[in-house]
Amino acid sequence: MSTAQVEILLVDDSKEDVDLTLRALRAENLANNIFVARDGEEAMDFLFCSGSHAGRSFEHPPKLVLLDLKLPKIDGLQLLKRIKNDERTKNICVVMMTSSREERDLAIGYSLGVNSYLQKPVDFTEFRQMVKSAVLYWLAINRPPLNSGGELLGTDAAHHTLTGHTK
Amino acid sequence: MSSSATQLAPKKQEEAKPKLAVLLVEDNQFDAELVLRALQQSGYDVSGTVVQDEATFLKALRANPPEIVLADYNLPDWTGMETLNVLLREGLDIPVILVSGALGDVTAVESIKRGITDYVLKDGLARLPQVVRRALREKYERGLRHLAEEDLAKKVDELARSNADLEQFANVASHDLQEPLRMVAAYTQLLAERYRGKLDEDADKFIGYASEGALRMQMLIQDLLAFSRVGRNATPNRSIDCNSVMVEVLQTLSTPIQESGALIKFDALPTVCANHTQIVQVFQNLIGNAIKFRGIDPPEISITSEKQDGQWLFTMRDNGIGIPKESLENVFVVFQRLHGRTEYPGNGIGLAICKKIIERYGGRVWVESQVGNGSAFKFTLPPEPADEFKREQP
Repeated sequence: MSTAQVEILLVDDSKEDVDLTLRALRAENLANNIFVARDGEEAMDFLFCSGSHAGRSFEHPPKLVLLDLKLPKIDGLQLLKRIKNDERTKNICVVMMTSSREERDLAIGYSLGVNSYLQKPVDFTEFRQMVKSAVLYWLAINRPPLNSGGELLGTDAAHHTLTGHTK
Repeated sequence: MSSSATQLAPKKQEEAKPKLAVLLVEDNQFDAELVLRALQQSGYDVSGTVVQDEATFLKALRANPPEIVLADYNLPDWTGMETLNVLLREGLDIPVILVSGALGDVTAVESIKRGITDYVLKDGLARLPQVVRRALREKYERGLRHLAEEDLAKKVDELARSNADLEQFANVASHDLQEPLRMVAAYTQLLAERYRGKLDEDADKFIGYASEGALRMQMLIQDLLAFSRVGRNATPNRSIDCNSVMVEVLQTLSTPIQESGALIKFDALPTVCANHTQIVQVFQNLIGNAIKFRGIDPPEISITSEKQDGQWLFTMRDNGIGIPKESLENVFVVFQRLHGRTEYPGNGIGLAICKKIIERYGGRVWVESQVGNGSAFKFTLPPEPADEFKREQP
């Protein structure tokens, strides 16, 4: 898979958690164009086309970032702030996913412009359902503004069919 | 016997006169001697330093801090009142008594307002020893009170810190426990999905136990979080009509009420000053318990209130199974359960939360009960401020 086609960037340091999320996505056939970053720094490099991802282009941003709150190196809220404060990345949908619901993090998340804040349920069936709903909503139902990467390019066939539903 | 003891007493006093270090601010040497003599004659072993101006006063103060300052009101270069400022600057709590030839009533009152302990006129020096004694006693008592207050403040501070630590611990622990717990729960579920019926009977049973354990732990963690959040709720108090609280609680509990055939009666309930959600929680937990721990007969629950010592005292009486005497206090402890999980479900957090909420508003909660004779949960809550006002108006 070329990183240019990545639709979803999953940022999570727990391999067990990544496995669960991928499993949930795979069950819905949504795990094809996904890139996993294991810490905030790698996610930064991926999104801002720097470091090990210096070869990437800003013309192909992911459509959705699934972001864990507690991350090594650069934590989830810091990463969110960088994404939403940068003209090149601010239109990317960011969904925060955490194990525990902390009102303060929730408030900060929304004030920084997070698109969704989800608490991962303990029950796996519920978790699977939640991941599916969230990803389908942001990739298929929600309409991003024209200046977001995917629409601007207009070359992504999958995207066209997906957005076609809402027309 | 007793007469010989009283005879000895004055002799003993003669032997050990109480020492008194005096700093005298006085320009008239003759007056100074009169003052010191008046104190000496009253039984003090006086050591006195006489000064006339600020510089020498400060020097004497630092060299040999006195127990008392006696100051003339009028001095050629200075005034007795100024000693107060010097003492304040030096951080010293030493009583100052004005000794003056003449002092008008207005000046006297003004001086005492500004911090002078007392005043004595020069032609009334006989009163001086008594005034000095009282000033020293008051200072001693002030010191004791100050120590007691400091001690109390320290204890309150320690308690608050320890409570905050505990709350933070519960909060952090429960947050950090969620993550590994989700893994245990999710992967056990995956195991069950993939291998149910494919391994032996024991394997299915073990997987089932593991799943149940994980889900129960999740409930415990959520309860612990709810408990730790009681103190962190920062919304300001407002007037809460307990009648509307009851309506809300009856609505929420409608299913168990119908299923158990519970009869719930309540008086016209008062308005209290608290947080709405928390008061709903208290009523809901208590009424929910009264239904849950019912006897053979359908539950009969009554809620009454009365004003007692400026607080509202609520009583929730039921006809349930009751609580054994030795457990009357334990029921309010976190995760304390008196029954097996299969008999009565629950984690034992409800009453602990009630207690924490009620104590947060300065109230008290306790239970009176006998096994087989029902329970009466009693708690106090502060009235709304306007209520106090109304009560005091004729």
